[in-house]
Amino acid sequence: MSTKENFYLRHERATLGTIMVLMTLIFWEGLERGWWADALHPVLGESAERLQLERIFISSPTLVASAAFRMFFVTGEIWRDIAWSALGYGLGLALAIVIGIPLGLAAGWYRRFSYAIDPFLSALNATPQVAFLPLIVVWVGTGLGARVLIIVLLAVLPIAINARAAVRTTDPRLIKVASSFGAGDFRLFRTIILPSAVPFLLAALRLAIGRGMIGVVVGEIYGSAAGIGAMISQAGSRFQTDKVFVGVLTIVAAGLILIEIVQRIERRVEAWRPPVQV
Amino acid sequence: MAVPINFDQDAPDERTRPAETGSAYERFVIGGSTLLAVLLLWEAFGRSGLIDPLFISSPTRVAQAGFGLLQDSDFWNDLRVSGLEFLFGYGLAVAIAIPLGLAIGLSRRLQYMLSPFVDTLNAVPRVTLLPLIVIWAGIGIWSKVVVVFLGAVIPILINTQSGVKASEARFIRVARSFSASRLKIFSSIVLPGTVPFVFTGLKYGAGRALLGVVVGELYASTAGIGHMIAAAGNTFQTDLVFFGVLIFMVTGLIVVALLDRLERRFERWRPDVH
Repeated sequence: MSTKENFYLRHERATLGTIMVLMTLIFWEGLERGWWADALHPVLGESAERLQLERIFISSPTLVASAAFRMFFVTGEIWRDIAWSALGYGLGLALAIVIGIPLGLAAGWYRRFSYAIDPFLSALNATPQVAFLPLIVVWVGTGLGARVLIIVLLAVLPIAINARAAVRTTDPRLIKVASSFGAGDFRLFRTIILPSAVPFLLAALRLAIGRGMIGVVVGEIYGSAAGIGAMISQAGSRFQTDKVFVGVLTIVAAGLILIEIVQRIERRVEAWRPPVQV
Repeated sequence: MAVPINFDQDAPDERTRPAETGSAYERFVIGGSTLLAVLLLWEAFGRSGLIDPLFISSPTRVAQAGFGLLQDSDFWNDLRVSGLEFLFGYGLAVAIAIPLGLAIGLSRRLQYMLSPFVDTLNAVPRVTLLPLIVIWAGIGIWSKVVVVFLGAVIPILINTQSGVKASEARFIRVARSFSASRLKIFSSIVLPGTVPFVFTGLKYGAGRALLGVVVGELYASTAGIGHMIAAAGNTFQTDLVFFGVLIFMVTGLIVVALLDRLERRFERWRPDVH
């Protein structure tokens, strides 16, 4: 009795979470298979039929799982989409980093430069950047270029803004000590500002990963032939709901894996830092 | 006799405090003149014929196009549709996320039960769900309301919840020792403490809501500013596209400014930290 209670208390989080998820999945499966319609038929009569939903409308966990198995291991059609999306995503994110970090560091260090670009940064930050998509399509067409550009546009702002904040919050005492010992700007940058900016930059990278995912999907549903986003959009217009769910889950998995990688890097890079004494 | 050196009291001077000091006047002049220079350059390129105005338009063309639109009843309909989508979706998100966030923050069990769903939804770019939402809710206003709602609800929920978690344990202990009721503790310690968190979530959620309006309308719609932008883009009316983007920009700035004002009003009672 007491061991049972202890087990529950020790694993309360996992237990409650699993129960809720399982219940939701069973409820969903039942909607498609008509379990609830059958069960409630004696009570509600004909109106219980409404509890059985069309397959194309809702799909079901088993249908999604079998579609995923088919797409990954039988036909392998999804790998091409993944590769295509990953190409645009990688290029876009790399460009956003290459542009965003120097821009943000410069804006943090040079006051006048920051005054000059602040209006643009805050205006762009307040805009839903995807609104530029039709414009980008006019400029570069609907190919790889448009997708890379929209990802850059979405991901560059968090990176630049965090890099700027990182420089501004550098401990001024450290800078003061270094410059009284005659360290030049470059030296200051390399030995003080850059190391103290790393946590901010990695946090920015996590934000940019999420924003970039939005870019992939939006760039591809708005006119692209291949890629996960295009696949989702095409499956949606053919009412292949199970394939849509597979696409969504693939994107979730990709996002979670990337964020986990960044967190690992964060832990490794931060290992030298002495623990903060409070 | 040793002189104590207290680094903490050193006032930061120009040299050591990067890019933070400086007068508001300088900021205004430099920022304003850069903005002006960019606009002039843009206009010059548009007029010079070096780049086809079809591609880049120009500030005067955008202004003209905007002025023309103001007399167009279709434009006002687009504005009304987009505005309704934003208001319904965002309003619903606020109405659900704040109470639910407070409840999740207060009850450990509720958190255990709901966090798998909240975390999963948080990991999905909600716009990915658009094809599904369109199947469920059609291409009218409701599919956009749903996507706006989904975009805004998660950041507000998560921030409200962490606001409750961050309430000062010391204050709660003191209140408890003076035998304050749970309701009293909630209303006078926990709730005021969540305000900055809630507003962070509201601002973030507003951005996500606007994103939802744009993407939802680009994907499938019959009216709205996003629809107008997409249609103008397809017919190479670049000046109209720029005007549409400008509308979203201004809306974003206004919403954030309004929320800032509201936050200051809620925070007025708080004593100054300095």
